[in-house]
Amino acid sequence: MTGIHADIDALKGLHDALARYRHAQRDVTARGEDQLTATRASLETKASRLRAQLELGQAEYTACQDRAAQADPDDPVDCSGHARAVQQDSERLEQIRLWQQRIDAEAGEFSGIAGRFADLLENDLPRMEEHLVAIIASLEAARRVRAPAS
Amino acid sequence: MISRPEQDGDQQLRLLGDAWDKAAEHWRDGPARQFGTAQLTPLLQESRSYLEALRKLMDLLETAERETEG
Repeated sequence: MTGIHADIDALKGLHDALARYRHAQRDVTARGEDQLTATRASLETKASRLRAQLELGQAEYTACQDRAAQADPDDPVDCSGHARAVQQDSERLEQIRLWQQRIDAEAGEFSGIAGRFADLLENDLPRMEEHLVAIIASLEAARRVRAPAS
Repeated sequence: MISRPEQDGDQQLRLLGDAWDKAAEHWRDGPARQFGTAQLTPLLQESRSYLEALRKLMDLLETAERETEG
């Protein structure tokens, strides 16, 4: 019996595998999108924190420069530490901005491929599954018709 | 350690390939060939393209997080 219906069993197995594949890959695409959203949010948090830090650093640097301008020439005020901090924060902020731009560009390209794949999962795969169901039903019907004669 | 989504996607792709190989052992008529050529092969190709693009994007996101730490 198993041998006679091995093709039908195999097709049912393939049908089940396609359904599992559709669900599992939907989860994969959702996790990919989640990761993209999380990284964008993380970069924005870092940028926001750095902007606040930079603003504070710039204010401290300006205050230091004011003190330096009014300081006794024999007792100069050194603002180089503030200048370095502002420079470093500016560079880090610029680095984050560049990463944000790059991610936006790559995500834009990715969205085309992801859209096609999502369409395949939502439309093409269910059609394939329905096609297999029809083939299985047709094979089963043919076997039922032939069975009495055998 | 949580696996990356494209790695799980690759695993699912392998499982589907195995299921097709198993089905193809017993299902070898014209409709089988038609199904394999016209439907399953494009699905597998499109899946590979997507998963490769996803891998590159996940690499990029990891690098961006790493490079902007501290």
